[in-house]
Amino acid sequence: MSILQVNGIYKKFGKTDVLRGIDFSMEEGEVLSIIGSSGSGKTTLLRSISFLETADRGTITLDGEVVFDAQNTLKKSKSEQRKIQSKFGFVFQSFNLFPQYTALENVMLAPRLAAKELNDYHKHKKEILHEIEQEAKALLDRAGLSDKYNNYPCELSGGQQQRVAICRALALKPKIMLFDEPTSALDPEITNEVLKVIKSVADLGMTMIIVTHEMNFARNISDRIIFMENGVIAEEGSPEQIFCHPQNPRTKEFITSFSQNVEE
Amino acid sequence: MFVEVSLKLLEGFGVTLKIFLLTLAFSLPLGLIISFGSMTRFAPVKWLTKGFVWIIRGTPLMLQLIVIFYGPGLVGTWAEAQINAGASGALIEWLATWHVMDRFFSVMVAFVINYSCYFSEIFRGGIESISRGQYEAGQVLGMTKTQVFFKVVLLQVIKRIVPPMSNEIITLVKDTSLARIVMVYEVIYAAQKFIKSDGLLWPLFYTAVYYLIFCGALTLLFGWIERKMSYFKS
Repeated sequence: MSILQVNGIYKKFGKTDVLRGIDFSMEEGEVLSIIGSSGSGKTTLLRSISFLETADRGTITLDGEVVFDAQNTLKKSKSEQRKIQSKFGFVFQSFNLFPQYTALENVMLAPRLAAKELNDYHKHKKEILHEIEQEAKALLDRAGLSDKYNNYPCELSGGQQQRVAICRALALKPKIMLFDEPTSALDPEITNEVLKVIKSVADLGMTMIIVTHEMNFARNISDRIIFMENGVIAEEGSPEQIFCHPQNPRTKEFITSFSQNVEE
Repeated sequence: MFVEVSLKLLEGFGVTLKIFLLTLAFSLPLGLIISFGSMTRFAPVKWLTKGFVWIIRGTPLMLQLIVIFYGPGLVGTWAEAQINAGASGALIEWLATWHVMDRFFSVMVAFVINYSCYFSEIFRGGIESISRGQYEAGQVLGMTKTQVFFKVVLLQVIKRIVPPMSNEIITLVKDTSLARIVMVYEVIYAAQKFIKSDGLLWPLFYTAVYYLIFCGALTLLFGWIERKMSYFKS
């Protein structure tokens, strides 16, 4: 059974149709990249999946449970909604770390707040908090940030901030990680350190959706690629198919324009 | 004479300080509430609040002091006259019970209302300057709106509003001298008494020293707070 199913997603901003019927599904552990030119709706799709935007039509099913249904706005309790929310890890283009907290505190904040809702929180407070700290440190270690626990975001480079942001999203143990152009705000020479961390997360078997302009990266990391154009999926297939044998003329044009850029 | 003047002015400055501190204590929380009112999506509350803030910020504090001090008395006198002329009814009888309030109390009412409105605009500016990304980051981490406000947004807002706040608070120190208009014995009034009783003008100039020392101390305090919060950038 697929872990994520997205059916018939439509979204309008004012009079502009941004998404015009998006359907796809994903298997557990799959890495899916979404490519396409600016304004094609990639980011809006990602934001709709994680409830940052509310789609006008369509359903989203996670692990067999309908987590979003535009037709049937069945009122979920706020705590249920937050539980569902934390099954999606989201990494922003602009990092959005909390500036007043250190790297470690950024990673620990949400798990600590979530832990307060556990029934046995007060009884085992010390152990729970200790465990959260150990897990957060392990995440930062894996992202190569073991010497940055106590640095504030303003003391970190963009690449380091984005790696902290990835750890922060992973700390809630999400089912699916969503990356919204994670390297677009970074200098070209430091995108690699972030891409490496994303790759290492994929290697652990995490299900991921990546919206990106890094074509080589998308090609190397993905099991499947979606090419979006004007709010619909224009083409979908293996990296091999999309990059070497695109069927849709628009895909071909898009891919060619990118490889030309690289040559220049 | 110098010692005598110094002590009298100090006594007056005690009242100045009292107005200052009480105004801060009440108008900071009230200002936060008013700022929520002007940011709410519920249109009637939003426009009522904005209208109120417009009136208060759009008229002189001196005028507000006069209205609040003399207004109730005038209403009471007018209502009594109406009753004497044969009018009756619960409303008019209630209005007839209005009378001039205590001087110090009216000063406090005027200052608290006035400064709440100014502070509310500073709070609103601070809150609205926080990027949407901070709220969204909180949301995708499964935090409640309250948690996002208190754990994520609030400290950033405070950091951002320290400079405009310190400006406004230092203005408040000097605005307290307006209390003199309804004969509240603050430092300027204390100094003016020496003109009448002893023909001395210099005590009035001398009050500047009190203001300068106090504002200097506040400037140091706010500088310290700014440094305390300089460990992060937002």
